[in-house]
Amino acid sequence: MASLSEEVLLVLKKVRQRKQDGTLYLMAERIAWGPEGKDRFTVSHLYSDIRCQKISPDGKAKIQLQLVLHTGESSTFHFSNDSSALTDREAAKDLLQQLLPKFKKKANKELEEKNRMLQEDPVLFQLYKDLVVSQVISAEEFWANRMSTTNTENTLSDKKQDVGISAAFLADIRPQTDGCNGLRYNLTPDIIESIFRTYPAVQQKYGENVPHNLTEKEFWTRFFQSHYFHRDRISTGALDIFSECAKQDEQGLKLMVVQGVKNPLVNLLSLEDKTIEEGYGFSAAASTSNPNRTGKENSNSAIIKRFNHHSAMILAAGSGRGDAPNDPASETSSTDGNSRDSDLSQPPIKKVKLQEAIDYLDLQREDGPKTVALNLKKSDRYAHGPVPLESQKYTTSQDIINSITCIRHEMANYVPNLAQVLTSSAVSSAIAALSPGGVLMQTGSQQAIDQMVPSEVQGELKHLYIAAGELLRHFWTCFPVNSPFLEEKVVKMRSNLERFQMTKLRPFQEKVQRQYLSANITGHLEEMLQTAYNKLHAWQTRRMMRKI
Amino acid sequence: MKLNIEGLLVYFPYDYIYPEQYSYMLELKRTLDAKGHGVLEMPSGTGKTISLLSLILAYQKTYPLEITKLIYCSRTVPEIEKVVEELRKLIEFHSKETGEVNNFLALALSSRKNLCIHPEVSALRFGKEVDGKCHTLTASYIRAQRHSDPSLPSCRFYEEFDAIGRQLPLPPGVYNLDDLKEFGQKKGWCPYFLARQAILHANIVVYSYHYLLDPKIADLVSKELTKKAVVVFDEAHNIDNVCIDSMSVNITRRTLDRCTSNVETLQTTIQKIKETDANKLKEEYRRLVEGLKEANVARVTDVYLGNPVLPAEVLQEAVPGSIRTAEHFVGFLKRFLEYLKSRLRVHHVVQESAPQFLKDIFQKVCIDRKPLRFCAERLRSLLRTLEISDLTDFSAITLISNFATLVSTYSQGFTIIIEPFEDRTPSIANPVLHFSCMDPSIAIKPVFERFQSVIITSGTLSPLDIYPKILDFRPVTVASFTMTLARTCLCPLIVGRGNDQVALSSKFETREDFAVIRNYGNLLLDMSGVVPDGIVAFFTSYMYMENIVASWYEQGILENIQRNKLIFIETPDAAETSMALEKYQEACENGRGAILLSVARGKVSEGIDFVHHFGRAVIMFGVPYVYTQSRILKARLEYLRDQFQIRENDFLTFDAMRHAAQCVGRVIRGKTDYGLMIFADKRYARADKRGKLPRWIQEHISDGSLNLTVDETVQLSKHFLRQMAQPFRQEDQLGLSLLTIEQLESEEMLKKISQMAHQA
Repeated sequence: MASLSEEVLLVLKKVRQRKQDGTLYLMAERIAWGPEGKDRFTVSHLYSDIRCQKISPDGKAKIQLQLVLHTGESSTFHFSNDSSALTDREAAKDLLQQLLPKFKKKANKELEEKNRMLQEDPVLFQLYKDLVVSQVISAEEFWANRMSTTNTENTLSDKKQDVGISAAFLADIRPQTDGCNGLRYNLTPDIIESIFRTYPAVQQKYGENVPHNLTEKEFWTRFFQSHYFHRDRISTGALDIFSECAKQDEQGLKLMVVQGVKNPLVNLLSLEDKTIEEGYGFSAAASTSNPNRTGKENSNSAIIKRFNHHSAMILAAGSGRGDAPNDPASETSSTDGNSRDSDLSQPPIKKVKLQEAIDYLDLQREDGPKTVALNLKKSDRYAHGPVPLESQKYTTSQDIINSITCIRHEMANYVPNLAQVLTSSAVSSAIAALSPGGVLMQTGSQQAIDQMVPSEVQGELKHLYIAAGELLRHFWTCFPVNSPFLEEKVVKMRSNLERFQMTKLRPFQEKVQRQYLSANITGHLEEMLQTAYNKLHAWQTRRMMRKI
Repeated sequence: MKLNIEGLLVYFPYDYIYPEQYSYMLELKRTLDAKGHGVLEMPSGTGKTISLLSLILAYQKTYPLEITKLIYCSRTVPEIEKVVEELRKLIEFHSKETGEVNNFLALALSSRKNLCIHPEVSALRFGKEVDGKCHTLTASYIRAQRHSDPSLPSCRFYEEFDAIGRQLPLPPGVYNLDDLKEFGQKKGWCPYFLARQAILHANIVVYSYHYLLDPKIADLVSKELTKKAVVVFDEAHNIDNVCIDSMSVNITRRTLDRCTSNVETLQTTIQKIKETDANKLKEEYRRLVEGLKEANVARVTDVYLGNPVLPAEVLQEAVPGSIRTAEHFVGFLKRFLEYLKSRLRVHHVVQESAPQFLKDIFQKVCIDRKPLRFCAERLRSLLRTLEISDLTDFSAITLISNFATLVSTYSQGFTIIIEPFEDRTPSIANPVLHFSCMDPSIAIKPVFERFQSVIITSGTLSPLDIYPKILDFRPVTVASFTMTLARTCLCPLIVGRGNDQVALSSKFETREDFAVIRNYGNLLLDMSGVVPDGIVAFFTSYMYMENIVASWYEQGILENIQRNKLIFIETPDAAETSMALEKYQEACENGRGAILLSVARGKVSEGIDFVHHFGRAVIMFGVPYVYTQSRILKARLEYLRDQFQIRENDFLTFDAMRHAAQCVGRVIRGKTDYGLMIFADKRYARADKRGKLPRWIQEHISDGSLNLTVDETVQLSKHFLRQMAQPFRQEDQLGLSLLTIEQLESEEMLKKISQMAHQA
């Protein structure tokens, strides 16, 4: 399994697992552990399988990291390197912290997808119950080639839509009092991500300070203590690492303001045609500039500024692209401050906006409905509704007329070729052989099965057939066996088949026998299984021979 | 669609028409026929502009000798551009229907800032800078100097225009600001001066109020416009304030300081010129004796816009001898400045009339009334002689001389108030001399006298009778049109109580009340959960909004609102607000929804529309009364009472209600639009307030929705929004609020329409 080359992100020696020394590897997509001296991994988890990681409390003697999987299993690693155990653990933890959220979404999405498939398809659900819940095969195997089909479906929509940020995410961080003059804030990775996406300045600070100067906990503690979080406080001390953030925010806001607005209709600066000159006017004097504002008023206006900024940032983060694609246009107008450049791009927007503003839609005769492109994932499902899956070839009426004339033509010219006809005796014997009770119809049941057995048994049988079919499909896909993986799988499938026979088929047979002694309705199933066993046996003997 | 408006063939560029548009055109035609003035109120979004343009264009085409020009005044640049675009549509339709080649010239005029194409000059940010820079390149004496010294910088666009463009008239067509620029670029001509010249022979001119109402600009731009013109003031609900603003002057200590340095510059320049070129000053002296007489002759040929800065009767006399020489005039200015400085040194508030002021100045520094009256003209002449091109540096001294002329010309309608400090900060000395105009009719009077028809129109002009009163004119038509609706797409609700039965009001006694603020917050919070997309909330003043936002923040109300929508807030800074506004629209556009907290009387409430999903609800927190403690306002109220018999309270309520109506009216911009209008103050329920709302809003306020609690409001809103969310098609409107030509011409409908105009 290690044959594929993978990028190894972190190697940590002297990590114990189940009291065995070994090495922990963090790869791009999985975490693995191998005992010392062997180059095999005995433990390997894909990141997407990991639900969460837990670490031992700081004061404990054993420094451990536990990974809890979605299945509920867990593996614990004990960092035993005397000198660097703690730093090793922290390194692993930090890396995992970065990696897990990335895969988590994928995992969640997969789980969701699987869930959805099971809900939508009752047959599949039954199959899942039969095979996975009863532990005939593992869930992984079950999905192994299911997902491939779903994945192809999803490739189109693979660009996952970014989830926006709740405007009130800061409000959701509710402090709780811990009983003794302290406050506790609960931060989830989602909230942290929201903070980072909304306030890149904080992320930058985090990147600058966290591993080296501060622990993560300290960082967030300071964050909540800072005036930055409490927007109504005016910056006081230069000690606060977030005072710089506030400045950066201010600059960002200023930049946004300088860049101006693209829609000329909302640009308040160019609204007035002729502003009243300084010194003239009746109301202007009252509210021009009053530099002597009190501190309270100052903080009030700071709140207002922050709210505008906060909303703008959330909007930018939510739109995903930020303002990146707009940059070329906005940069030209902002860097050289020359309106000539922006003029070039302005008229079209302006024209459109003006036209929009003067249009009276209801005064015009409607000229055909205006269409909006509908983006559908499965357009056929939208257009046709549920239809049988057979691919239908359409025939036009012209085709039909043509073929009718053709047939008519052929019929008119039909000349029976009597020389090649069978003799009448041969024909009658063939008919006899094919009639019920005839030689060739022995195995086919004379009586339709639905008259013989009650519907519940039929249903059960149907499930058995489906399950067996699924297992056999897995089995037969292993042939030709040309890789070690397939070898392993084929052997495993055999045991699966045997287990199926033992746990499902046998009880059913017994049950049927108790009720209907004669009807051998499972014969065909057994036949199929037997064929599989034979095939495997033949392959194994051939392999043994070759080996010898 | 071709309409027959009492015998006038009107081309209307749409397939359908609203009944009120037809009715509006009828009234407008009657006004034009009578060659009189009119006041017309019609809700926004019912196609007021296109009705106006269609009718007046048809009138001009049919009776070219009766009306030769349409002067359309609007308030903001986007509004101006919108009007021109509608005009373009109309004219295109007209030539398509008649098959004639269009021979109409229609254009927009705006300041240099919006029209300049000179690469360096147009890059400047502020209008003032652009104007100043333009002066330094194009002033006549600079161009004269360039003959001797070709190395001086010039504006090639102006030179080209001056050389070729002046002779060639602008070809017929519709020119928006961008079209003018494009045309200018192509020809290499200056679009601004091209437009300035073209408005003289254009059939339709669209520009801003100031070009007609501000005497200082009107004198330059609109002096030679023909008398046989129709003037339209659109969005005219604030026209009285525009008139007053253009005539009022404020003088601070800083202004005086800058004046002093101005005077010094003048003095040194005069000294220099005297040494080098004494003839120039003598020439000026001679011109002052004769030059004004020449101007007088030129002016008799036509009746000009009376200019308050240079009043018509002054022209009969020459500049008085005492200020005729440059040195004497500078000395005179110095004396005047010293006097003003001494007046600013007061420790208590002084209020006096213009005659009192003149008497005082005569007693103290022996300045007569007559030279004061000539002050502005004399200064202009001096600056011209001294060849000072960049007038922005001399704005302070121009201001003072304009003040001198104004104060000595008008003994009525103005007041002088000297405040040694601001009311809020009595410890900080900041003396201001307010010379404020209290009578809007002074500025607009020349317009009414000169032009044949003046139409004042807006979506909110109620109560209609007050405008003729305060503007002092006799309209022949006064009408208010309501909006015919197939579905009631506006839902005015008056919230008078909180859920805890606390009366909601922004009145002074309770505005700091915690319970009121909390209930206001709950109202916004609950609405944010019910209303889709955008909500706009207006507060009565910026201070009030700041306080409320702060206490909402402390109470955690804002955080809860953020769960539903993003919050954007208007700030005093226009650029910041523009940004917030754009983000607000973006948030409405992408479905997240947003709330805009804004201020009545602010820029947003005056100039920005919230169509469709940009505003599904508007909440008016409180009644937007103007700050009543201001002395200027008090003086104005007194004046209104004495002069026009308008009671103080009536005027204050009228003013508050027109702003409230402006704010809530922003949300409905058409019949397909819909929106909630929430008046969050119990005072709105009173008949004297409610009765001053425009009729098209008033008639939808039911008696049941006069004193609602927050919960009831939310319930009613839910119900309303659910109804409005149903598909609304054209067929639903047809025959009721939307008519085809056949429907319009039916007997029954014509009868209905003739009853529609609500004669005030």
